[in-house]
Amino acid sequence: MKKITTIEAENLSITRAKKVVVKNLSFAVKQGEVFGLLGGNGAGKSTTLLAFLGFLTSTEGAARINGVEADVDPAATRRAIAYLPESANLYPHLSARENINYFLSLAKVKSSADDIEMALNQVSLAEEARDQRLSSYSKGMRQKVAIAVAILRQAPILFLDEPTSGLDPVAIDEFNRLITKLAKSGTTVLMVTHDVYGACQVADRIGLLRRGELVGMFEATNDARISVDEVHQAFASGA
Amino acid sequence: MKTAITIAAQEWRYWSRTKLASAVALLAFILICTSVFATFSQVAKEKDTRETLQIKAEETFRDQPARHPHRMVHYGHYVFRTPTSLAALDPGVDPFTGTVMFLEGHRQNSATFSPSYDGAQAGPFSRLTPALTYQLLLPLVLIVMGFGVVAREREAATDRQLVTSGISPISIWLGKTLALGSVAFLLLLPMLAGVALSESNWSIGLGFFALYFFYVLVWVLIITAVSTWSQRTSVSLLILLSIWLILCVLLPRLVAGAAATAIPDTSQIETDMDVIMALRSVGDGHNSRDPAFDRLKANLLQEYGVKRVEDLPINFRGAVAQAAEADLTAILNEYADKRIAGQRVQTQLVKSYEFVSPFIALQSASMVAAGTDARTHHRFLREAEAVRFQFVQDLNKVHEHKMAYVDDINRNRDTDAARRTRVDSENWRVLRDFRFNADPADTRLERLFSSYAVILIWLMVFAIAGLLGARRLPEVNHG
Amino acid sequence: MGSLFREIKFALKDRIVFICLIGVALLSTYSLVAGLQESASEHAMIERTNDLVTQDRQYNLAKQSDAGGAAYYSFHFAYDPPSSLAFVARGVRDDLPWKHRIRMLALEGQIYETDTGNPELSKIGKLDFAFVAAFLLPLLSILLLYDLRAIEIRNNRWAFLSITVGNGNRLLLSRAALRSGLLYISLIVPLIIIALFSGAGFSGTLLVAAAVALNCVFWCLLAYWVFTRIESGPTTAAILLGCWFFLAVAIPVGGKYAVEKSIKVPSGGEILLMQREAVNDAWDLPKKATMTPFFERHPQWANTADVTKPFEWKWYYAFQQVGDQTVEPLSQSLRSAIARRDKAMGLVSLASLPLLTERLLSQAARTDVASFQRYESCVRDFHQRLREFHYPMLFGEVEYSLEHMTQLPDFKPCL
Repeated sequence: MKKITTIEAENLSITRAKKVVVKNLSFAVKQGEVFGLLGGNGAGKSTTLLAFLGFLTSTEGAARINGVEADVDPAATRRAIAYLPESANLYPHLSARENINYFLSLAKVKSSADDIEMALNQVSLAEEARDQRLSSYSKGMRQKVAIAVAILRQAPILFLDEPTSGLDPVAIDEFNRLITKLAKSGTTVLMVTHDVYGACQVADRIGLLRRGELVGMFEATNDARISVDEVHQAFASGA
Repeated sequence: MKTAITIAAQEWRYWSRTKLASAVALLAFILICTSVFATFSQVAKEKDTRETLQIKAEETFRDQPARHPHRMVHYGHYVFRTPTSLAALDPGVDPFTGTVMFLEGHRQNSATFSPSYDGAQAGPFSRLTPALTYQLLLPLVLIVMGFGVVAREREAATDRQLVTSGISPISIWLGKTLALGSVAFLLLLPMLAGVALSESNWSIGLGFFALYFFYVLVWVLIITAVSTWSQRTSVSLLILLSIWLILCVLLPRLVAGAAATAIPDTSQIETDMDVIMALRSVGDGHNSRDPAFDRLKANLLQEYGVKRVEDLPINFRGAVAQAAEADLTAILNEYADKRIAGQRVQTQLVKSYEFVSPFIALQSASMVAAGTDARTHHRFLREAEAVRFQFVQDLNKVHEHKMAYVDDINRNRDTDAARRTRVDSENWRVLRDFRFNADPADTRLERLFSSYAVILIWLMVFAIAGLLGARRLPEVNHG
Repeated sequence: MGSLFREIKFALKDRIVFICLIGVALLSTYSLVAGLQESASEHAMIERTNDLVTQDRQYNLAKQSDAGGAAYYSFHFAYDPPSSLAFVARGVRDDLPWKHRIRMLALEGQIYETDTGNPELSKIGKLDFAFVAAFLLPLLSILLLYDLRAIEIRNNRWAFLSITVGNGNRLLLSRAALRSGLLYISLIVPLIIIALFSGAGFSGTLLVAAAVALNCVFWCLLAYWVFTRIESGPTTAAILLGCWFFLAVAIPVGGKYAVEKSIKVPSGGEILLMQREAVNDAWDLPKKATMTPFFERHPQWANTADVTKPFEWKWYYAFQQVGDQTVEPLSQSLRSAIARRDKAMGLVSLASLPLLTERLLSQAARTDVASFQRYESCVRDFHQRLREFHYPMLFGEVEYSLEHMTQLPDFKPCL
């Protein structure tokens, strides 16, 4: 199978409030790849993400999804995307099942009750909590419901924004396994994080972002994951 | 106290740095000034016009040429209700009642030509008097500025920081109240200026201003209390807007509607018809042969020791006119009093809801203080009636004593008799000057006591609510 | 269809929305029922008073021996019955007269009698359906809509939602439209039920429903326009409340001020004074001074016998009419000024949708200024017919008899 490019930044520059936040950023993510965009506070990683999601317009260059510029017709490009924000507060007055049904209906995705149960099992949300309102959930439980929605969307592209913050270590492991599995089945994943360890766990490649510029690129090989030490050193050296 | 002032200063800095708060405060200030100025000049002009018209009406009456006195009874007279000085700030019922009343024999007219008769019809909020601006809109302005005073800290978890650095929740609440209260006080300054300019009696001026001061303070306390209790700013805003909508817009109208239904007001025409029916026993004062006057006739004949009315030393017709007017007026007064009493009960019913809505409390108290309430209008009606009865009866006395009965009964047929029944213009001086004044300041202040008490209760309730909310400040989980 | 159902379920799960909708339905029902009661009591009052006035007239007529006395003591009840839709909008019915007890004396002295109730209640205002639909509906729309986007942003849901649905704003538009729609339904369903029940006209009800729909759609779109541009909920609310204040309060107040400044009305008090002077002066003037202007209007009586006695009924009624004639220009200019002011306010209302809605509703309810003026001219026509009936008797063309008096015109409301 020939791997095609699905997410691509080409000389992307973004100015917000008269400040250049992203400078001349270029990278490409191929289908089935897990790409981590790593950076500290204010590195411009969230801005880059928002540009791909179509919330921001590039000042120069382009952010492309499947070859189409993301800010041209965001509604159309978003159809291919599932997105998991840092702390997804879904609707507190609905239960997990109701939330999932609601969001899937919004995304015009049809899922059977079995699919939903399976997804909830995958994120290992406690059985007895599934019909309780989200207002009684902990932060991690809420995140699990959002992950379930993202899985069930079955979108070819998955954007993750600090996805594991608020999850306990066991849940993080489960989550990482899930991402790897999704990537294997062909989903492209772009993950934005400041967590070096977490990124190295799942990413095939990691781009290091500093003050809006790409300052380093690390790649996993067939036999070894990316070295945490190496990335950490690069990360810390610029700080 | 010092920490409270620091917290208040902090809040002021927040407002000065948020465009929304500064814009709202500025617009409100401009709006209030406009409304004070516009109403002020309008009422001043109106007062001037009515005073001039009153003097003119009196002069015209007294300058009438010689004629039959009963003609003057029907010629009648006009009295005008001149606005009180505080009407410049709260015109009260003035735009809804007639301002001029025609006084004539045999009738109690209602006041005609309310300003709404020929005014452009512009919906329920078309009269933006300073009073209404303060009663209705200022709370809204304070809500928009202050819904987040405490809730914002709680949302951002900065309240924990404050409390853990040793600031007591009470001082937080006090500081926030101080901050919002000082904004409210600034917005009250145009009202203070208006009072100073319009009212020369300082005690009632102060009493009037104090009402607004406390009312605005009640809202400040409502806002800080709700903001203190709310977990989120959005909830605080929603609750406050709902409170405003219910207390200031819905409830007064619901209560007024209920009062109108519970105590139905008879229409003037129905009252007139009742009077007519009651009158059939009194007799028509124009017709001295009406059997109803037989007793009067018998009494007079006996008193003067004569056999025929023609031989009486007085004009029997004048005597009849007087007796009939007195009887008629008694009946008219009875019905008028009944109607006024009914309206009084309606007003009382509305006022009794002052315990539910501070808006209702202030609205009725403000009119009492300004001397523009329905009660004062009713007194105007009664005083005008007294003037009417006096000049009609004085003219009837002239009718009784200054002409011969024979000439009087023949005046419609005989030109000479008609000439002899004309009396000199001197006689029109019986008309008394009419100057309508509001109740003295002391009386009005006395009536305000209960309102102050109610508003103070409101103050205490929300101060306590705010303090209780403040005590929960650091303990609440943010989730 | 499925998504509509989904969003309805979603909206109603929100307790605040649910309470608000129930509240609106209750308010709407209350205002309509109160309006119906008011109409019913007006009908009852009209019937009662009409009977009383008729009885009183017959009682007095039986005692009269000449045409002059018969005219002097015959009172008539003139009224404008509430229309079948009057319960929708109270309009000017509390401010302007809709009932009169009149007789053949100078009409200008009688027609301005306004029977207003307790002024403190008038000051507070009525909670009629028009108030709810025109002025309250925007406030409720603001309460329901201002936070639609801000709450998603605050809870970190906005991006997630937008990505899921593709176009988040479109979803919010449909949510806003749905909430507005539900608001509209809870407002209008009671109206339709009560209109059907009370037999109000179909086209009128439809007009009312359409006018309210326009108001509803406008506030929905305005709220959408603002909340898609402003991230903060409170700021959105403040801006929308500012819009409400500007449209519902500032424009009417400013418009009223401008209209009243630019279109002058003759003072009503002056009309009364002038009319009184004219009528009273006639007593002291030579009879000719009255009869000449009177005959100019009624040349057919010009050749009847001269007035010789100090008092004659025909002269008495002639000066009553001449009194009216004297103030005719003033009275006409008062009426036309009121009409022009109303028309000008109509133009102003194009800039204020709440005011426009209220005007449309009171138009449909026939409680607007135009209806008042129609009624007033109806009373003037009737008064004219009274004169035309009595003059032949007063000037000796027809002999006075109780039998002839049975043909006395009866007031019929002009519909």
